[in-house]
Amino acid sequence: MKVICDRGALLDAVNLVAAVVPQRTPTPALSCVKIVATKGPGGAQLTLSGSDAETSLHLTVTAVDVHQPGEAALPADKLRAIVAAEDGEPTLTLETDGDLCHIRGQNAHFRVYGYPTADFPPLPDFAATVAGSAGAEPAKSVFSQPAGLLLDLVQKTTFATARETSRYAINGVLLKREGKKMEMVATDGRRLALCRASAGGAGGKDAGSVSCIVPTKALNILQKLAVSEDDTVRVAVTDSRIFFAFEEPAAGGGGGGGKGDKDKHASQPRAVLTSTLVEGTFPPYEDVIPKDQDKKVRASRDTLTSAVRKASVLTNEESRGVRMTFSGGDKRLKLSSRAPEMGESEIGVDLSAYEGDDIEISFNPTFLTDVLKVVSDDEVIFELKAPNKPGLIKTQGGDFLYVVMPVNLAT
Amino acid sequence: MQVAHIGYTSVEGERRIARLPALVVNQIAAGEVVERPASVVKELVDNAIDAGSRRIVVELEQGGIELVRVTDDGSGIREEDITLALAPHATSKIRSAEDLDSISTMGFRGEALASIASVSRVSVRSRTSGSVGGGGVQIDAEGDRVDPPKPAAGPVGTSVTVRNLFFNTPARRKFLRTPNTEQGHCVDVVTNLAMAHPAIGFTLRTDGRVVFDLAPDQSPKQRVLDLVGRELAEQMLEVNVDRFDDVRGLAMWGMVGLPTIARANARAQHVFLNGRPIRDKTIQHALREAYRGLIEPGRYPTAVLMLVMDPRSVDVNVHPAKVEVRFRDQSMVHSAVLRSVREALRSADLTPKVAFNPNSGPSSMFRPDSALPGSLGAHRPSTPDPQAFVRFFHRPHGGEVAEPLSYQVLKTTLSSGNADQAVDVPDSVVAGVTGGDRVETVGEHASQAVEHDRGEYDQSLATPIPVSRVLQVHNSYMVTQDDQGILIVDQHALHERVMFEYLLHRITAASGEGGGGLESQRLLVPAVVGAEPRRIARLGELRPLLARLGIEAEQLSPSSLGVQAFPSFLYERGVTPEEFLADLLDRADADDFAPESESALHEVLDMMSCKAAVKAGDRLSERELADLLKLREAVERSSNCPHGRPTSIRLTIQELEKRFGRS
Repeated sequence: MKVICDRGALLDAVNLVAAVVPQRTPTPALSCVKIVATKGPGGAQLTLSGSDAETSLHLTVTAVDVHQPGEAALPADKLRAIVAAEDGEPTLTLETDGDLCHIRGQNAHFRVYGYPTADFPPLPDFAATVAGSAGAEPAKSVFSQPAGLLLDLVQKTTFATARETSRYAINGVLLKREGKKMEMVATDGRRLALCRASAGGAGGKDAGSVSCIVPTKALNILQKLAVSEDDTVRVAVTDSRIFFAFEEPAAGGGGGGGKGDKDKHASQPRAVLTSTLVEGTFPPYEDVIPKDQDKKVRASRDTLTSAVRKASVLTNEESRGVRMTFSGGDKRLKLSSRAPEMGESEIGVDLSAYEGDDIEISFNPTFLTDVLKVVSDDEVIFELKAPNKPGLIKTQGGDFLYVVMPVNLAT
Repeated sequence: MQVAHIGYTSVEGERRIARLPALVVNQIAAGEVVERPASVVKELVDNAIDAGSRRIVVELEQGGIELVRVTDDGSGIREEDITLALAPHATSKIRSAEDLDSISTMGFRGEALASIASVSRVSVRSRTSGSVGGGGVQIDAEGDRVDPPKPAAGPVGTSVTVRNLFFNTPARRKFLRTPNTEQGHCVDVVTNLAMAHPAIGFTLRTDGRVVFDLAPDQSPKQRVLDLVGRELAEQMLEVNVDRFDDVRGLAMWGMVGLPTIARANARAQHVFLNGRPIRDKTIQHALREAYRGLIEPGRYPTAVLMLVMDPRSVDVNVHPAKVEVRFRDQSMVHSAVLRSVREALRSADLTPKVAFNPNSGPSSMFRPDSALPGSLGAHRPSTPDPQAFVRFFHRPHGGEVAEPLSYQVLKTTLSSGNADQAVDVPDSVVAGVTGGDRVETVGEHASQAVEHDRGEYDQSLATPIPVSRVLQVHNSYMVTQDDQGILIVDQHALHERVMFEYLLHRITAASGEGGGGLESQRLLVPAVVGAEPRRIARLGELRPLLARLGIEAEQLSPSSLGVQAFPSFLYERGVTPEEFLADLLDRADADDFAPESESALHEVLDMMSCKAAVKAGDRLSERELADLLKLREAVERSSNCPHGRPTSIRLTIQELEKRFGRS
């Protein structure tokens, strides 16, 4: 293999793939990025793949000049460090010599020992899965979604997942698609975020309905993959895994064209992210969404965010809660916090609207700032029932819901 | 035994030997067989099993102290034998001494009913299937009075009712524990017997409430899972020895728990020999050995083991309650249990399923930015908050903790001769250099403390020790110097103590003085904790203690409870309600655990601190180390962790000099 590649493009790709590769693994091949250089009729390209056995990422870089096709498997951390360190170089040359790989810049020459590419685990094949080829696990559902819309769902839910809990199902985000509706739900047992959108058109075969739990790691990587909101993401779900394939907008993949080989290559995805699904049953979340909230508040998101941040200054790890006193008479909200032997604070907020009796309820401020950060509306709706009952935060239109449990403050 | 029947009687001041009346003899025998309601339950259920019953119903009132009733559908007692059933040393189970070598029934000594009757009010109603006229017979007894049998209606089988246990031996009655504790023991006994006899249906009712209702003809596995809690099914492994040892006369089947569900006491270990629950050191040892290195010392694996052996190769007649046995070939039993359990563990995947998170690093409390919720915005640059760690604990401290001084800074300070420039000397350094005794006043008032530190630093300038860096060794120990030499601190033990003192203060002090209890976070859906009915049954008793800790829990089913609110700070430190409550129920299971006592509170707080404290192996930054060391001075009893182990040891200069041959 001998390729000359654009360093910037290579660095972007290596950074993304290295994020998938596990830091420590007993299988040396897994700590590698596999590089494959091809010179097809569609043009020269370099593909980079990395996997931690659960999540795999496959990227295509076209800013390359392939002199001799071939492949290599190089330790991800070293490759990344080298590509990053050669920051004065417009291009880098990669050339293999057995398992040894030479990386050359203007004044530098690295000889890196790689691993036999045969040791690199075979990655699930997106094209084969979508095409329903023999040997590939059949896809239950395949659909396309504009990247912007999909990432909006991801971003508005992923933050609420549990970390390292033994209830594995809530370590991921539930992705549900049924008819024209698509929704994602995440919870950590104390709060729950739900976001809905209308599902995009079915790509290829008719999209079946689907309900699966996607690991947080995959969704975090997914958020880094989109270049433009208009990218199309094709999603394929099988019994055990999910694929996200990013296609360039208007690259001839969707509409016209249809000229045999050439078109096939044009529609080859720029990036394919694959992840095994989380097994298990997602908690029956419909039941925890309160339906009979009788106190309704409207407030400016910015004002509320800033007030919660201020109130949270005088809290600590153990005394988390911020007390919120809503009074309908003067449409005011008072936030107060108190950390033992440290201090107290009191912040006032004017509400746009208030409906219902006065109420006093306490929340972990982090749970509030988390959600205020991801919604983009100017105004949020806050619905309450009782001091020991969940609070509900939503946006106009109702596509986004956030249920948050209160805390019982120490007296 | 003859001697036991003879005692001293005091007659006009003179003690003479006299033969004891039969009642007293029986009461003494009862002392061996009947020590508490659970023993009554055991004897009666044993009899019911030996009668070939298909269903056995056990009813308890007030933990069995007021009433124990065991009803079976077994063979029943013939009308003409019923009086004999209440006589001592009368049994249908053995006939001669030879039979003792091959006991296959549960009971055999023939003293149970007589002993029980001597210390309670007993009523036996029975009917055999072949009884003439289809009627049954009933006999009542109380102390030494046995009423003549009278006819009584009822289904085939026997029902024995025991009321007012120890009504005539007030001393023994006084030794009974609370109804709850006694009930716990009774439930234990029935649980054990139900495990051993999956073919028999068992129903247990306490004060009218069904604790469990198990169908007859279950498989041993079904039965075990029903009793340990179906929630644990995935965490149990099956153990078999039929591959070997059959030749040697031992067959075994069982289920053992993964190391993750090991308990704080041995109560989740159920060992049976030929259907009889036993307690055997050899087997316990074999289990411990099989799990060695997989669980921490002091924890006990969950295990149900059923051994079947030729009755002749084991002596069961060594203990009146038959819980201890003597194996002819102990080492054979030991190695069989050890090998089979080890085999089961080896073939299973013991890796805890929670994925290792490379970001977890040192626990969140030590990450300055996470202690300040306002700075959690991922896109905002987080401002390190030097107070974040200190603030967590109950005494405020003066002065910022800076990075340990560089020699350069110190030199400048020394040469300028102005101690005031040294304000950013970490307190720990000062404390270390000057010795703990002078630091007591640190923290009374922030600004004062700063003043004070300066003063102290002034004094410390006189000593030739430049600066103390804190070194973390193997991510577990902190090494620093003080005026006497080298100080080695166990980071986990120290932090555990610091946490403990803090939590204790929060819970016991008035709200104006930093107390007021722990804040708790409510949960969207209750966190479900599975446990045996007996442990769940103690929830009511534990509730006031749980409330003090900020935990709300409700019983969901006889074998599970749901946690609805849990302390925020434990959540923050990655402790889950499930694991915490499971451990707490274990502790509460111990006999000497009185939920309302201070010692119980201490025990549970100790558990909290241990779980929340930094662990050996957690990497700490220099500032975290300095902060932690500083707390050593601020907290009472900091020399030992709540378990009593030392938190720090010191290597004195004298010792070093001796070792290096300098003195």
